[in-house]
Amino acid sequence: MSSAAAATLPTRRTFTAPLAAGTKRAAAVVCVLAALVGLYELYHWVWVSTGWTHPFVVDDTTMPHIWVILHALWQPAQVNQPALGTILFHKSLFTAKEAAVGFGLGAVIGFAIGVVLVHSRLLTRGFLPYIVASQTIPILAIAPMVVIWVNPKLPAGVQGWGSVAVIAAYLTFFPVAINTLRGLQSADPRALELMRTYAASRWTVLWKLRVPTSLPYVFAALKIAATASVVGAIIGELPSGLQDGLGGAILNFNQYYSIEPQELWATNIVAALLGIIFFVGVVAAEKAIVRRAPETVE
Amino acid sequence: MSGIVVTGISPGMGRRLGQQAREWLPALVVFALAIAAWEGAIAAFHIQQFLLPKPSDIVKSCWEQRHTLWPAGWYTFKEALGGFVIGSLAGMAAATLIGRFKTLGAALMPIAIAANAIPIIAFAPIFNQWFDPLSPNSKMAIAAVLCFLPVMVNTLRGLQSASPRQVELMRSYAASSFTIWRRVRVPTALPYVFTALKVASVLAMIGAVVGEYFGGSYDALGVLIRSKAQILDFTTAWAGILVASLLGIALYAAVVACERLVVRWAPEARDS
Repeated sequence: MSSAAAATLPTRRTFTAPLAAGTKRAAAVVCVLAALVGLYELYHWVWVSTGWTHPFVVDDTTMPHIWVILHALWQPAQVNQPALGTILFHKSLFTAKEAAVGFGLGAVIGFAIGVVLVHSRLLTRGFLPYIVASQTIPILAIAPMVVIWVNPKLPAGVQGWGSVAVIAAYLTFFPVAINTLRGLQSADPRALELMRTYAASRWTVLWKLRVPTSLPYVFAALKIAATASVVGAIIGELPSGLQDGLGGAILNFNQYYSIEPQELWATNIVAALLGIIFFVGVVAAEKAIVRRAPETVE
Repeated sequence: MSGIVVTGISPGMGRRLGQQAREWLPALVVFALAIAAWEGAIAAFHIQQFLLPKPSDIVKSCWEQRHTLWPAGWYTFKEALGGFVIGSLAGMAAATLIGRFKTLGAALMPIAIAANAIPIIAFAPIFNQWFDPLSPNSKMAIAAVLCFLPVMVNTLRGLQSASPRQVELMRSYAASSFTIWRRVRVPTALPYVFTALKVASVLAMIGAVVGEYFGGSYDALGVLIRSKAQILDFTTAWAGILVASLLGIALYAAVVACERLVVRWAPEARDS
Protein backbone atom coordinates (compact mmCIF):
# COMPACT_ATOMS: atom_id res chain seq x y z
CA MET A 1 0.00 0.00 0.00
CA SER A 2 1.85 3.06 -1.19
CA SER A 3 -0.48 5.39 0.55
CA ALA A 4 2.05 8.19 0.78
CA ALA A 5 2.62 8.21 -2.95
CA ALA A 6 -1.09 7.98 -3.63
CA ALA A 7 -1.75 10.88 -1.33
CA THR A 8 0.73 13.22 -2.96
CA LEU A 9 -0.16 12.34 -6.51
CA PRO A 10 -3.48 14.16 -6.86
CA THR A 11 -2.12 17.43 -5.46
CA ARG A 12 0.73 17.46 -7.92
CA ARG A 13 -1.52 17.01 -10.88
CA THR A 14 -2.49 20.23 -12.60
CA PHE A 15 -6.11 21.06 -13.13
CA THR A 16 -5.86 21.24 -16.88
CA ALA A 17 -5.65 17.49 -17.46
CA PRO A 18 -8.94 16.60 -15.74
CA LEU A 19 -10.54 19.65 -17.32
CA ALA A 20 -9.55 18.54 -20.80
CA ALA A 21 -10.75 15.02 -20.03
CA GLY A 22 -14.02 16.49 -18.79
CA THR A 23 -14.52 18.50 -21.95
CA LYS A 24 -13.77 15.44 -24.03
CA ARG A 25 -16.26 13.38 -22.09
CA ALA A 26 -18.91 16.10 -22.32
CA ALA A 27 -18.35 16.27 -26.07
CA ALA A 28 -18.73 12.48 -26.31
CA VAL A 29 -21.95 12.63 -24.31
CA VAL A 30 -23.35 15.38 -26.55
CA CYS A 31 -22.36 13.43 -29.67
CA VAL A 32 -24.01 10.23 -28.46
CA LEU A 33 -27.13 12.10 -27.34
CA ALA A 34 -27.36 13.75 -30.75
CA ALA A 35 -26.86 10.37 -32.38
CA LEU A 36 -29.64 8.85 -30.24
CA VAL A 37 -32.04 11.67 -31.10
CA GLY A 38 -31.08 11.30 -34.75
CA LEU A 39 -31.69 7.54 -34.63
CA TYR A 40 -35.06 8.08 -32.97
CA GLU A 41 -36.16 10.57 -35.61
CA LEU A 42 -34.70 8.45 -38.41
CA TYR A 43 -36.59 5.41 -37.14
CA HIS A 44 -39.74 7.51 -36.95
CA TRP A 45 -39.25 8.82 -40.49
CA VAL A 46 -38.38 5.45 -42.06
CA TRP A 47 -41.24 3.61 -40.41
CA VAL A 48 -43.79 6.31 -41.22
CA SER A 49 -42.72 6.77 -44.83
CA THR A 50 -42.59 3.06 -45.59
CA GLY A 51 -45.68 2.27 -43.59
CA TRP A 52 -44.03 -0.55 -41.66
CA THR A 53 -45.96 -1.71 -38.64
CA HIS A 54 -43.40 -4.04 -37.13
CA PRO A 55 -42.81 -4.39 -34.27
CA PHE A 56 -45.34 -1.64 -33.59
CA VAL A 57 -47.22 1.07 -35.47
CA VAL A 58 -45.20 4.29 -35.62
CA ASP A 59 -47.01 7.59 -35.71
CA ASP A 60 -46.94 10.88 -33.82
CA THR A 61 -48.76 9.27 -30.91
CA THR A 62 -46.55 6.26 -30.34
CA MET A 63 -43.33 8.19 -31.04
CA PRO A 64 -43.86 11.93 -30.75
CA HIS A 65 -41.14 14.10 -32.29
CA ILE A 66 -38.37 15.12 -29.91
CA TRP A 67 -39.09 18.81 -30.47
CA VAL A 68 -42.76 18.25 -29.64
CA ILE A 69 -41.73 16.61 -26.35
CA LEU A 70 -39.30 19.40 -25.48
CA HIS A 71 -41.81 22.04 -26.53
CA ALA A 72 -44.39 20.48 -24.19
CA LEU A 73 -42.16 21.36 -21.26
CA TRP A 74 -42.77 25.06 -21.93
CA GLN A 75 -46.49 24.65 -22.46
CA PRO A 76 -49.05 24.48 -19.65
CA ALA A 77 -50.44 20.94 -19.35
CA GLN A 78 -53.83 22.37 -18.49
CA VAL A 79 -55.39 25.76 -19.01
CA ASN A 80 -54.46 28.37 -16.38
CA GLN A 81 -51.60 26.32 -14.99
CA PRO A 82 -47.88 26.90 -14.95
CA ALA A 83 -45.77 25.32 -17.68
CA LEU A 84 -45.42 21.54 -17.64
CA GLY A 85 -41.71 21.93 -17.01
CA THR A 86 -42.34 23.92 -13.83
CA ILE A 87 -44.88 21.39 -12.60
CA LEU A 88 -42.57 18.49 -13.35
CA PHE A 89 -39.71 20.27 -11.60
CA HIS A 90 -41.74 20.50 -8.38
CA LYS A 91 -42.94 16.92 -8.75
CA SER A 92 -39.39 15.69 -9.24
CA LEU A 93 -38.30 17.58 -6.11
CA PHE A 94 -40.98 15.69 -4.20
CA THR A 95 -39.89 12.36 -5.65
CA ALA A 96 -36.25 13.29 -5.02
CA LYS A 97 -37.10 13.88 -1.35
CA GLU A 98 -38.67 10.42 -1.07
CA ALA A 99 -35.80 8.83 -2.94
CA ALA A 100 -33.12 10.64 -0.91
CA VAL A 101 -34.67 9.70 2.44
CA GLY A 102 -35.14 6.13 1.24
CA PHE A 103 -31.58 6.06 -0.06
CA GLY A 104 -30.17 7.28 3.25
CA LEU A 105 -32.29 4.88 5.27
CA GLY A 106 -31.52 1.92 3.02
CA ALA A 107 -27.81 2.70 2.86
CA VAL A 108 -27.49 2.93 6.65
CA ILE A 109 -29.49 -0.27 7.20
CA GLY A 110 -27.62 -2.08 4.46
CA PHE A 111 -24.26 -1.01 5.85
CA ALA A 112 -25.28 -2.06 9.35
CA ILE A 113 -26.39 -5.47 8.07
CA GLY A 114 -23.07 -5.89 6.30
CA VAL A 115 -21.14 -4.96 9.48
CA VAL A 116 -23.15 -7.40 11.61
CA LEU A 117 -22.92 -10.25 9.12
CA VAL A 118 -19.15 -9.96 8.64
CA HIS A 119 -18.69 -10.70 12.32
CA SER A 120 -20.75 -13.86 12.39
CA ARG A 121 -20.62 -16.69 9.93
CA LEU A 122 -23.63 -18.19 11.65
CA LEU A 123 -25.76 -15.09 11.06
CA THR A 124 -24.49 -14.87 7.49
CA ARG A 125 -25.55 -18.43 6.81
CA GLY A 126 -28.86 -17.86 8.53
CA PHE A 127 -29.89 -14.59 6.95
CA LEU A 128 -28.10 -14.12 3.66
CA PRO A 129 -30.33 -16.47 1.65
CA TYR A 130 -33.35 -14.42 2.71
CA ILE A 131 -31.68 -11.12 1.96
CA VAL A 132 -31.05 -12.45 -1.55
CA ALA A 133 -34.55 -13.90 -1.84
CA SER A 134 -36.10 -10.62 -0.66
CA GLN A 135 -35.05 -9.03 -3.93
CA THR A 136 -37.07 -11.43 -6.05
CA ILE A 137 -40.25 -10.11 -4.48
CA PRO A 138 -41.88 -7.71 -6.92
CA ILE A 139 -41.91 -4.64 -4.72
CA LEU A 140 -44.69 -2.96 -6.67
CA ALA A 141 -47.00 -5.77 -5.69
CA ILE A 142 -46.30 -5.18 -2.01
CA ALA A 143 -46.29 -1.40 -2.23
CA PRO A 144 -50.04 -0.98 -1.59
CA MET A 145 -49.77 -3.14 1.52
CA VAL A 146 -46.71 -1.23 2.72
CA VAL A 147 -48.50 2.07 2.22
CA ILE A 148 -51.57 0.95 4.15
CA TRP A 149 -49.42 -0.67 6.81
CA VAL A 150 -46.71 1.93 7.36
CA ASN A 151 -48.66 5.13 6.85
CA PRO A 152 -50.75 5.17 10.06
CA LYS A 153 -47.60 4.50 12.12
CA LEU A 154 -45.76 7.51 10.76
CA PRO A 155 -45.82 10.96 12.37
CA ALA A 156 -48.18 13.38 10.66
CA GLY A 157 -45.42 15.34 8.94
CA VAL A 158 -44.13 12.44 6.88
CA GLN A 159 -47.38 10.59 6.23
CA GLY A 160 -47.82 9.78 2.59
CA TRP A 161 -44.34 10.29 1.27
CA GLY A 162 -42.77 8.54 4.27
CA SER A 163 -44.19 5.19 3.25
CA VAL A 164 -42.87 5.72 -0.27
CA ALA A 165 -39.44 6.40 1.23
CA VAL A 166 -39.71 3.05 3.03
CA ILE A 167 -40.27 1.34 -0.31
CA ALA A 168 -37.28 3.17 -1.77
CA ALA A 169 -35.24 2.07 1.25
CA TYR A 170 -36.29 -1.53 0.67
CA LEU A 171 -34.84 -1.42 -2.85
CA THR A 172 -31.71 0.34 -1.59
CA PHE A 173 -30.59 -1.79 1.32
CA PHE A 174 -29.90 -4.96 -0.63
CA PRO A 175 -27.01 -3.98 -2.90
CA VAL A 176 -25.44 -2.03 -0.04
CA ALA A 177 -25.70 -4.94 2.40
CA ILE A 178 -24.25 -7.46 -0.07
CA ASN A 179 -21.40 -5.25 -1.21
CA THR A 180 -20.56 -4.02 2.30
CA LEU A 181 -20.25 -7.64 3.36
CA ARG A 182 -18.02 -8.42 0.39
CA GLY A 183 -15.97 -5.29 0.97
CA LEU A 184 -15.47 -5.91 4.68
CA GLN A 185 -14.47 -9.51 3.95
CA SER A 186 -11.95 -8.40 1.37
CA ALA A 187 -9.57 -6.97 3.96
CA ASP A 188 -6.06 -8.32 3.48
CA PRO A 189 -5.63 -11.32 5.83
CA ARG A 190 -2.04 -10.25 6.52
CA ALA A 191 -3.22 -6.83 7.61
CA LEU A 192 -5.86 -8.50 9.78
CA GLU A 193 -3.24 -10.66 11.44
CA LEU A 194 -0.96 -7.68 11.96
CA MET A 195 -3.79 -5.82 13.65
CA ARG A 196 -4.43 -8.83 15.84
CA THR A 197 -0.81 -9.12 16.92
CA TYR A 198 -1.07 -5.51 18.10
CA ALA A 199 -4.11 -6.61 20.13
CA ALA A 200 -6.37 -4.30 18.23
CA SER A 201 -9.98 -4.49 19.31
CA ARG A 202 -12.70 -5.58 16.90
CA TRP A 203 -13.86 -1.99 16.77
CA THR A 204 -10.41 -0.73 15.76
CA VAL A 205 -10.04 -3.45 13.13
CA LEU A 206 -13.45 -2.52 11.78
CA TRP A 207 -12.84 1.22 11.48
CA LYS A 208 -9.14 1.30 10.68
CA LEU A 209 -8.97 -1.65 8.33
CA ARG A 210 -12.21 -3.22 7.22
CA VAL A 211 -14.26 -0.09 6.52
CA PRO A 212 -11.55 1.68 4.48
CA THR A 213 -11.04 -1.51 2.44
CA SER A 214 -14.73 -1.84 1.86
CA LEU A 215 -15.34 1.71 0.64
CA PRO A 216 -14.88 1.06 -3.09
CA TYR A 217 -17.30 -1.87 -2.82
CA VAL A 218 -19.76 0.21 -0.83
CA PHE A 219 -19.68 2.98 -3.39
CA ALA A 220 -20.18 0.52 -6.22
CA ALA A 221 -23.33 -0.56 -4.41
CA LEU A 222 -24.38 3.01 -3.64
CA LYS A 223 -24.31 3.77 -7.35
CA ILE A 224 -26.80 0.99 -7.98
CA ALA A 225 -28.76 2.02 -4.91
CA ALA A 226 -29.02 5.62 -6.16
CA THR A 227 -30.94 4.44 -9.20
CA ALA A 228 -32.87 1.88 -7.22
CA SER A 229 -34.06 4.52 -4.76
CA VAL A 230 -35.46 6.66 -7.58
CA VAL A 231 -37.14 3.60 -9.09
CA GLY A 232 -38.53 2.74 -5.65
CA ALA A 233 -39.84 6.25 -5.11
CA ILE A 234 -41.60 6.34 -8.49
CA ILE A 235 -43.00 2.83 -8.11
CA GLY A 236 -44.05 3.48 -4.53
CA GLU A 237 -46.09 6.49 -5.58
CA LEU A 238 -48.15 4.47 -8.03
CA PRO A 239 -50.35 2.58 -5.57
CA SER A 240 -50.17 5.19 -2.82
CA GLY A 241 -52.37 7.61 -4.69
CA LEU A 242 -49.92 10.46 -4.13
CA GLN A 243 -50.28 13.11 -6.80
CA ASP A 244 -47.32 15.28 -5.82
CA GLY A 245 -44.56 13.20 -7.38
CA LEU A 246 -43.39 11.87 -10.73
CA GLY A 247 -45.05 8.49 -10.21
CA GLY A 248 -48.43 10.15 -9.85
CA ALA A 249 -47.71 12.26 -12.92
CA ILE A 250 -46.85 9.15 -14.93
CA LEU A 251 -50.13 7.49 -13.93
CA ASN A 252 -52.02 10.67 -14.73
CA PHE A 253 -50.46 11.39 -18.12
CA ASN A 254 -50.72 7.71 -19.02
CA GLN A 255 -54.49 8.14 -19.04
CA TYR A 256 -54.31 11.02 -21.51
CA TYR A 257 -51.69 9.37 -23.68
CA SER A 258 -53.81 9.08 -26.81
CA ILE A 259 -54.42 12.85 -26.82
CA GLU A 260 -51.22 14.24 -25.36
CA PRO A 261 -48.46 11.64 -25.64
CA GLN A 262 -45.70 14.22 -25.36
CA GLU A 263 -46.60 14.90 -21.72
CA LEU A 264 -45.89 11.32 -20.64
CA TRP A 265 -42.67 11.38 -22.65
CA ALA A 266 -41.64 14.67 -21.06
CA THR A 267 -42.36 13.23 -17.59
CA ASN A 268 -40.28 10.15 -18.38
CA ILE A 269 -37.38 12.27 -19.57
CA VAL A 270 -37.52 14.21 -16.30
CA ALA A 271 -37.59 10.89 -14.39
CA ALA A 272 -34.57 9.72 -16.38
CA LEU A 273 -32.73 12.94 -15.55
CA LEU A 274 -33.54 12.51 -11.87
CA GLY A 275 -32.09 9.00 -11.91
CA ILE A 276 -28.94 10.21 -13.64
CA ILE A 277 -28.57 13.14 -11.22
CA PHE A 278 -28.73 10.76 -8.25
CA PHE A 279 -26.17 8.52 -9.89
CA VAL A 280 -23.82 11.39 -10.70
CA GLY A 281 -24.20 12.64 -7.12
CA VAL A 282 -22.92 9.33 -5.75
CA VAL A 283 -20.10 9.27 -8.29
CA ALA A 284 -19.06 12.76 -7.14
CA ALA A 285 -19.17 11.68 -3.49
CA GLU A 286 -17.07 8.64 -4.35
CA LYS A 287 -14.48 10.81 -6.11
CA ALA A 288 -14.30 13.03 -3.04
CA ILE A 289 -14.08 10.27 -0.42
CA VAL A 290 -12.33 7.28 -2.01
CA ARG A 291 -9.62 9.42 -3.57
CA ARG A 292 -6.96 7.67 -1.58
CA ALA A 293 -8.14 4.11 -1.90
CA PRO A 294 -5.00 2.39 -3.14
CA GLU A 295 -6.69 -0.37 -5.07
CA THR A 296 -9.95 0.62 -6.65
CA VAL A 297 -12.29 -2.18 -7.50
CA GLU A 298 -12.52 -2.45 -11.22
CA MET B 1 -16.47 -0.38 -10.79
CA SER B 2 -17.52 -3.92 -10.29
CA GLY B 3 -20.61 -2.37 -9.30
CA ILE B 4 -23.17 -1.84 -11.98
CA VAL B 5 -24.10 -5.34 -11.17
CA VAL B 6 -24.07 -6.75 -7.72
CA THR B 7 -23.98 -10.46 -7.38
CA GLY B 8 -26.76 -11.74 -5.26
CA ILE B 9 -24.57 -14.37 -3.78
CA SER B 10 -22.13 -14.39 -0.95
CA PRO B 11 -18.59 -15.51 -1.47
CA GLY B 12 -18.63 -19.21 -1.97
CA MET B 13 -22.35 -19.60 -1.78
CA GLY B 14 -22.60 -21.15 -5.21
CA ARG B 15 -19.96 -23.69 -4.35
CA ARG B 16 -21.50 -24.46 -1.01
CA LEU B 17 -24.87 -25.09 -2.59
CA GLY B 18 -24.18 -28.75 -3.16
CA GLN B 19 -22.28 -29.29 0.06
CA GLN B 20 -23.52 -30.42 3.39
CA ALA B 21 -26.98 -29.58 4.59
CA ARG B 22 -25.24 -28.43 7.76
CA GLU B 23 -24.44 -25.21 5.93
CA TRP B 24 -28.12 -24.61 5.39
CA LEU B 25 -29.20 -25.42 8.89
CA PRO B 26 -28.95 -21.82 10.20
CA ALA B 27 -31.06 -20.62 7.27
CA LEU B 28 -33.70 -23.24 7.99
CA VAL B 29 -33.73 -22.32 11.67
CA VAL B 30 -34.13 -18.64 10.81
CA PHE B 31 -36.95 -19.55 8.45
CA ALA B 32 -38.78 -21.56 11.09
CA LEU B 33 -38.27 -18.86 13.72
CA ALA B 34 -39.45 -16.11 11.37
CA ILE B 35 -42.61 -17.99 10.46
CA ALA B 36 -43.30 -18.75 14.12
CA ALA B 37 -42.71 -15.11 15.08
CA TRP B 38 -44.97 -13.95 12.26
CA GLU B 39 -47.80 -16.25 13.29
CA GLY B 40 -47.23 -15.45 16.95
CA ALA B 41 -47.16 -11.68 16.45
CA ILE B 42 -50.46 -11.77 14.61
CA ALA B 43 -52.03 -13.75 17.40
CA ALA B 44 -50.40 -11.68 20.16
CA PHE B 45 -50.99 -8.18 18.81
CA HIS B 46 -54.29 -8.91 17.05
CA ILE B 47 -53.00 -7.56 13.76
CA GLN B 48 -55.90 -7.28 11.42
CA GLN B 49 -56.10 -9.98 8.83
CA PHE B 50 -56.25 -7.58 5.92
CA LEU B 51 -53.00 -5.88 6.83
CA LEU B 52 -50.78 -8.88 7.27
CA PRO B 53 -52.28 -12.30 6.78
CA LYS B 54 -50.86 -15.32 8.56
CA PRO B 55 -48.27 -17.24 6.55
CA SER B 56 -50.35 -20.37 6.96
CA ASP B 57 -53.34 -18.57 5.43
CA ILE B 58 -51.21 -17.34 2.53
CA VAL B 59 -49.95 -20.83 1.79
CA LYS B 60 -53.49 -22.17 2.16
CA SER B 61 -54.79 -19.57 -0.25
CA CYS B 62 -51.93 -20.38 -2.60
CA TRP B 63 -53.12 -23.97 -2.67
CA GLU B 64 -56.86 -23.33 -2.73
CA GLN B 65 -56.62 -20.86 -5.59
CA ARG B 66 -54.01 -22.79 -7.49
CA HIS B 67 -56.24 -22.93 -10.56
CA THR B 68 -56.15 -19.15 -10.96
CA LEU B 69 -52.83 -18.26 -9.33
CA TRP B 70 -50.47 -20.65 -11.07
CA PRO B 71 -51.78 -20.15 -14.62
CA ALA B 72 -51.52 -16.40 -13.99
CA GLY B 73 -48.00 -16.88 -12.67
CA TRP B 74 -47.09 -18.98 -15.68
CA TYR B 75 -48.48 -16.31 -18.02
CA THR B 76 -46.35 -13.63 -16.38
CA PHE B 77 -43.37 -15.96 -16.18
CA LYS B 78 -43.49 -16.49 -19.95
CA GLU B 79 -43.44 -12.73 -20.46
CA ALA B 80 -40.48 -12.41 -18.12
CA LEU B 81 -38.65 -15.34 -19.73
CA GLY B 82 -39.19 -13.97 -23.23
CA GLY B 83 -37.95 -10.55 -22.18
CA PHE B 84 -35.00 -12.07 -20.34
CA VAL B 85 -33.90 -14.08 -23.38
CA ILE B 86 -34.39 -11.23 -25.88
CA GLY B 87 -32.81 -8.57 -23.67
CA SER B 88 -29.84 -10.70 -22.62
CA LEU B 89 -29.08 -11.89 -26.16
CA ALA B 90 -29.33 -8.32 -27.45
CA GLY B 91 -27.09 -7.12 -24.62
CA MET B 92 -24.45 -9.74 -25.36
CA ALA B 93 -24.63 -9.07 -29.10
CA ALA B 94 -24.29 -5.32 -28.58
CA ALA B 95 -21.34 -5.81 -26.23
CA THR B 96 -19.62 -8.15 -28.70
CA LEU B 97 -20.08 -5.59 -31.46
CA ILE B 98 -18.92 -2.66 -29.35
CA GLY B 99 -16.02 -4.68 -27.97
CA ARG B 100 -14.64 -5.03 -31.50
CA PHE B 101 -14.11 -1.27 -31.69
CA LYS B 102 -12.09 0.06 -28.78
CA THR B 103 -12.77 3.77 -29.24
CA LEU B 104 -16.49 3.16 -29.69
CA GLY B 105 -16.54 1.11 -26.53
CA ALA B 106 -14.62 3.77 -24.60
CA ALA B 107 -17.05 6.45 -25.78
CA LEU B 108 -20.18 4.40 -25.15
CA MET B 109 -19.25 2.94 -21.76
CA PRO B 110 -19.88 6.05 -19.61
CA ILE B 111 -23.12 6.64 -21.47
CA ALA B 112 -24.25 3.06 -21.01
CA ILE B 113 -23.49 3.36 -17.30
CA ALA B 114 -25.43 6.63 -17.07
CA ALA B 115 -28.29 5.09 -19.05
CA ASN B 116 -28.31 2.33 -16.46
CA ALA B 117 -29.28 5.01 -13.94
CA ILE B 118 -32.51 5.74 -15.80
CA PRO B 119 -35.58 4.38 -14.03
CA ILE B 120 -36.67 2.34 -17.04
CA ILE B 121 -39.76 1.11 -15.24
CA ALA B 122 -41.15 4.62 -15.70
CA PHE B 123 -41.25 3.88 -19.42
CA ALA B 124 -43.54 0.90 -18.93
CA PRO B 125 -46.68 2.88 -19.91
CA ILE B 126 -45.05 3.85 -23.22
CA PHE B 127 -44.30 0.22 -24.00
CA ASN B 128 -47.91 -0.56 -23.20
CA GLN B 129 -48.92 2.07 -25.75
CA TRP B 130 -46.51 0.76 -28.37
CA PHE B 131 -47.59 -2.80 -28.11
CA ASP B 132 -51.13 -3.65 -27.21
CA PRO B 133 -51.38 -3.35 -23.41
CA LEU B 134 -53.32 -6.62 -23.33
CA SER B 135 -50.69 -8.54 -25.26
CA PRO B 136 -47.73 -10.17 -23.52
CA ASN B 137 -45.41 -8.45 -26.01
CA SER B 138 -45.54 -5.13 -24.16
CA LYS B 139 -44.33 -6.75 -20.93
CA MET B 140 -41.76 -8.75 -22.78
CA ALA B 141 -40.41 -5.50 -24.22
CA ILE B 142 -40.14 -3.90 -20.76
CA ALA B 143 -38.39 -6.94 -19.34
CA ALA B 144 -36.06 -7.03 -22.35
CA VAL B 145 -35.06 -3.38 -21.97
CA LEU B 146 -34.51 -3.87 -18.23
CA CYS B 147 -32.24 -6.86 -18.89
CA PHE B 148 -30.37 -5.30 -21.81
CA LEU B 149 -28.22 -2.70 -20.07
CA PRO B 150 -26.74 -4.68 -17.17
CA VAL B 151 -25.95 -7.60 -19.48
CA MET B 152 -24.38 -5.32 -22.07
CA VAL B 153 -22.27 -3.39 -19.57
CA ASN B 154 -21.02 -6.50 -17.81
CA THR B 155 -20.37 -8.45 -21.01
CA LEU B 156 -18.34 -5.56 -22.38
CA ARG B 157 -16.42 -5.32 -19.14
CA GLY B 158 -15.81 -9.06 -19.21
CA LEU B 159 -14.59 -9.04 -22.82
CA GLN B 160 -12.21 -6.20 -22.01
CA SER B 161 -10.87 -7.83 -18.87
CA ALA B 162 -8.88 -10.52 -20.70
CA SER B 163 -5.32 -10.53 -19.46
CA PRO B 164 -3.03 -8.71 -21.93
CA ARG B 165 -0.36 -11.32 -21.34
CA GLN B 166 -2.70 -14.11 -22.44
CA VAL B 167 -3.70 -12.14 -25.52
CA GLU B 168 -0.05 -11.50 -26.36
CA LEU B 169 0.79 -15.14 -25.91
CA MET B 170 -1.99 -16.07 -28.32
CA ARG B 171 -0.72 -13.47 -30.78
CA SER B 172 2.78 -14.87 -30.57
CA TYR B 173 1.31 -18.22 -31.60
CA ALA B 174 -0.21 -16.41 -34.60
CA ALA B 175 -3.71 -17.03 -33.40
CA SER B 176 -6.38 -15.24 -35.38
CA SER B 177 -8.41 -12.59 -33.61
CA PHE B 178 -11.40 -14.90 -33.78
CA THR B 179 -9.42 -17.62 -32.01
CA ILE B 180 -8.33 -15.11 -29.37
CA TRP B 181 -11.94 -14.07 -28.95
CA ARG B 182 -13.12 -17.66 -28.73
CA ARG B 183 -10.32 -19.03 -26.52
CA VAL B 184 -9.45 -16.09 -24.30
CA ARG B 185 -12.00 -13.31 -24.32
CA VAL B 186 -15.19 -15.34 -24.10
CA PRO B 187 -13.95 -17.62 -21.29
CA THR B 188 -12.81 -14.56 -19.32
CA ALA B 189 -16.08 -12.78 -19.95
CA LEU B 190 -18.43 -15.62 -19.02
CA PRO B 191 -18.31 -15.15 -15.23
CA TYR B 192 -19.12 -11.46 -15.75
CA VAL B 193 -21.94 -12.38 -18.10
CA PHE B 194 -23.44 -14.76 -15.61
CA THR B 195 -23.26 -12.17 -12.84
CA ALA B 196 -25.31 -9.89 -15.08
CA LEU B 197 -27.69 -12.68 -16.08
CA LYS B 198 -28.47 -13.36 -12.43
CA VAL B 199 -29.39 -9.73 -11.91
CA ALA B 200 -31.32 -9.69 -15.17
CA SER B 201 -33.34 -12.78 -14.19
CA VAL B 202 -34.68 -10.95 -11.14
CA LEU B 203 -35.25 -7.75 -13.10
CA ALA B 204 -37.18 -9.58 -15.82
CA MET B 205 -39.78 -10.93 -13.42
CA ILE B 206 -40.13 -7.57 -11.69
CA GLY B 207 -40.39 -5.81 -15.06
CA ALA B 208 -43.16 -8.10 -16.19
CA VAL B 209 -45.17 -7.65 -12.99
CA VAL B 210 -44.68 -3.88 -12.97
CA GLY B 211 -45.60 -3.63 -16.64
CA GLU B 212 -48.87 -5.35 -15.85
CA TYR B 213 -49.59 -2.73 -13.26
CA PHE B 214 -50.20 -0.23 -16.06
CA GLY B 215 -52.70 -2.52 -17.67
CA GLY B 216 -52.56 -6.07 -18.85
CA SER B 217 -54.48 -9.18 -19.59
CA TYR B 218 -56.72 -10.54 -16.85
CA ASP B 219 -54.76 -13.77 -17.09
CA ALA B 220 -51.66 -12.03 -15.74
CA LEU B 221 -50.30 -12.24 -12.23
CA GLY B 222 -49.59 -8.51 -11.80
CA VAL B 223 -53.17 -7.64 -12.73
CA LEU B 224 -54.44 -10.30 -10.35
CA ILE B 225 -52.35 -9.03 -7.42
CA ARG B 226 -53.40 -5.46 -8.10
CA SER B 227 -57.11 -6.19 -8.37
CA LYS B 228 -57.07 -8.38 -5.25
CA ALA B 229 -55.26 -5.66 -3.29
CA GLN B 230 -57.83 -3.13 -4.45
CA ILE B 231 -60.71 -5.16 -3.05
CA LEU B 232 -58.64 -5.64 0.14
CA ASP B 233 -58.31 -9.38 -0.40
CA PHE B 234 -54.77 -9.26 0.89
CA THR B 235 -54.46 -12.97 1.57
CA THR B 236 -54.84 -13.73 -2.13
CA ALA B 237 -52.66 -10.76 -3.03
CA TRP B 238 -49.89 -12.10 -0.80
CA ALA B 239 -50.39 -15.56 -2.27
CA GLY B 240 -49.87 -13.98 -5.69
CA ILE B 241 -46.72 -12.27 -4.45
CA LEU B 242 -45.50 -15.61 -3.13
CA VAL B 243 -46.07 -17.16 -6.56
CA ALA B 244 -44.24 -14.29 -8.25
CA SER B 245 -41.30 -14.61 -5.86
CA LEU B 246 -41.09 -18.37 -6.27
CA LEU B 247 -41.05 -18.02 -10.06
CA GLY B 248 -38.42 -15.28 -9.79
CA ILE B 249 -36.28 -17.50 -7.58
CA ALA B 250 -36.79 -20.39 -10.01
CA LEU B 251 -35.47 -18.30 -12.92
CA TYR B 252 -32.55 -17.12 -10.78
CA ALA B 253 -31.77 -20.69 -9.73
CA ALA B 254 -31.88 -21.82 -13.35
CA VAL B 255 -29.27 -19.19 -14.23
CA VAL B 256 -27.10 -20.29 -11.29
CA ALA B 257 -27.40 -23.91 -12.44
CA CYS B 258 -26.37 -22.93 -15.98
CA GLU B 259 -23.44 -21.00 -14.56
CA ARG B 260 -22.25 -24.03 -12.62
CA LEU B 261 -22.50 -26.16 -15.76
CA VAL B 262 -20.81 -23.68 -18.07
CA VAL B 263 -18.19 -21.90 -15.95
CA ARG B 264 -16.48 -25.05 -14.71
CA TRP B 265 -12.97 -23.84 -15.39
CA ALA B 266 -13.08 -20.78 -13.20
CA PRO B 267 -13.92 -21.88 -9.67
CA GLU B 268 -12.74 -18.60 -8.18
CA ALA B 269 -14.92 -16.67 -10.58
CA ARG B 270 -18.04 -18.22 -9.15
CA ASP B 271 -17.42 -16.44 -5.93
CA SER B 272 -17.12 -12.99 -7.37
